[in-house]
Amino acid sequence: MEYVLTILPILMKGLKLSLTVYVIVISLVFPLATLAAIGKVSGPRVLKRILFLYTWIWRGTPLLLQLFFIYFGLPYFDINLSPLVSVIIAFVLNVGAYETEIIRAGIESIDKGQYEAAKALGMTNVQTMRRIIIPQTIRRVLPATCSEALLTFKDTALVAAIGMGDLLRSAKEVVTTDFRITAFFIAFIIYLFISSILVLVFSRLERKYSIYE
Amino acid sequence: MMDHMEYILNILPFILSGLKLTAKIYVATLVIALPLGLLAAIGKVSGSQFIKKVLFLYTWIWRGTPLLLQLFFMFYGLPVIGIRLSPFAAATITYALNYGAYLTEIFRGGIESIDKGQYEAAKALGMSYAQTMRRIIIPQTVRRVLPTTCSEAVNLVKDTALLAVLGMPDLLRIATQIFTRDFNITPFVVAFVLYLIISSVLVKLFGKLEKMYSIYE
Amino acid sequence: MTMMIRMYIHKYFGSLHVLKGVSLEVTKGEIVAIIGPSGSGKSTLLRCMNQLERIDQGFIEIEGIVVEAAGDIDVKITATSQEVRATYRKMGMVFQSFNLFPHMTALGNVMEAPISVNKVTKAAAVQIAEKQLAKVGLLDKKDAFPSKLSGGQKQRVAIARALAMNPDIMLFDEPTSALDPELVGEVLSVIKKLAQEHMTMLIVTHEMGFAKEIADRVIFMDEGEILEDSVPKEFFENPRHPRIKTFLEKML
Repeated sequence: MEYVLTILPILMKGLKLSLTVYVIVISLVFPLATLAAIGKVSGPRVLKRILFLYTWIWRGTPLLLQLFFIYFGLPYFDINLSPLVSVIIAFVLNVGAYETEIIRAGIESIDKGQYEAAKALGMTNVQTMRRIIIPQTIRRVLPATCSEALLTFKDTALVAAIGMGDLLRSAKEVVTTDFRITAFFIAFIIYLFISSILVLVFSRLERKYSIYE
Repeated sequence: MMDHMEYILNILPFILSGLKLTAKIYVATLVIALPLGLLAAIGKVSGSQFIKKVLFLYTWIWRGTPLLLQLFFMFYGLPVIGIRLSPFAAATITYALNYGAYLTEIFRGGIESIDKGQYEAAKALGMSYAQTMRRIIIPQTVRRVLPTTCSEAVNLVKDTALLAVLGMPDLLRIATQIFTRDFNITPFVVAFVLYLIISSVLVKLFGKLEKMYSIYE
Repeated sequence: MTMMIRMYIHKYFGSLHVLKGVSLEVTKGEIVAIIGPSGSGKSTLLRCMNQLERIDQGFIEIEGIVVEAAGDIDVKITATSQEVRATYRKMGMVFQSFNLFPHMTALGNVMEAPISVNKVTKAAAVQIAEKQLAKVGLLDKKDAFPSKLSGGQKQRVAIARALAMNPDIMLFDEPTSALDPELVGEVLSVIKKLAQEHMTMLIVTHEMGFAKEIADRVIFMDEGEILEDSVPKEFFENPRHPRIKTFLEKML
């Protein structure tokens, strides 16, 4: 028990990093993915092709490879970013690709009649998107987005692979240094605790927004 | 350009040998995780209270924590308490338990989505619970969860890359080693292309599988 | 006259008393129509007969064998569980929402129980199934999946499926309520055929004209009680209970 108290500060520091990365990533992803999804649905041909390639490559290859590429590979092109920035870029690109597809599917699932009604009322394309389609899409994609957000939280553990001191890495270092398995158990509990809280928060959110379905 | 091509041809054999390990772990995982998921789902639906509780804990913990943590636990944690497994065994067990947990929930959701009327019709015809599950419920469940199961199978390809972090010579690790040795990003690009090809081929194959099984919908 | 069914049932859904001491006797070859407003307990009554719902107090006796007994009564189950199971198999049921097995063809649906439950060979099951499908007029659809059949066809396959088990008693739980009006007739003709063959049947239905035409007895249920049990002529022309009068006026 005393041992747990001695290692807890180290693990908490790691947790802080994990959560920092997480919060920054999910705040950036949603707006960017929405734009990309709209681009995929109603953009010019060139844009659609580029976005198609983007989501195809970023969803079809491992996050870890993308992380390695941005973190280790970019310096090859003389692009030197801080670890935190490269990690955030890698995550935003990866999660963004999945979220773009989720939102795109959501937009496409909105009945064509909605567009027709808006057009008949004289609304422009932009107004239709902004006032009619996107608000409905947000409610519709909320479940898938929330489970994506949950997965992302667990994926933050991958930064341990590039040496960043997140919760997982801190736990591993304690275990290999002290040769005691306790830190892993604590890490399990902390991750489980946070992911369970996220699950509760997201279910509340989903329930609140599905009142009109 | 020619140097590039030559270079790629030089490193390709090494990278492909990494692919072999990736494929082995992939197949071994699915072979264990799929039946595990199905049995656990049936257990969750019709098992005793004790079994249900145990399975709930299983899926809660294995889906609520990162795969990498589970791998670290198996690789670095178990030796501390005296359990030494071969890297392949440790990796396969971890992936199988992790994916088994997700598949359990997928199958369970599928079973629970089958209309209660199916159970009633089977009961009215005199079928036992086991017969009902085996002949009526599970066949429909498998068809229903096929898309989700297939996308999990595609995810597994990408998750195998985590082996690189544990020092196992999979596709990603070998590509990284070559990169570090030659300070050339080509191996990363090759890795990107290979993963992309594999996942795209699987997506196409699974799409065909899904179409085959949706004839009666 | 062979007694097919005897029962006395009290049933509760939570605190709601849905069947208030319902007592019923059905003899062989009788066709009993059960009608009444929604919530009267008529479907529940039917479902209690083949154990889809459990009774809270009372008993159920089928072909002389007590299959269920509950609460503070003198009747006890004396048969073995095997005999009880065999007795339940003498009843077939047709559901409002058909409940066909979507992953099997029509033939497959009808063949399934004879093979799994009665342990007949596949070849024998095919013969039984084809015979029953022919009886309901759907032999040409034997290889079709339920998703390709109309509602009326689905229900007829469901009837064939139940008949393939050679029941002595057929239970129909609002067999045509989920059908489009133009499809109701084909299902009623099949039921009429069974009536002509003197199959013992209990039919919960809203089809008053049909009940009048084929039923030997009409039972009116309301709020968990049987208010009247008489022959169709008397029932429709001279109902005794005022609630029945109001109900018939609404329906016709």
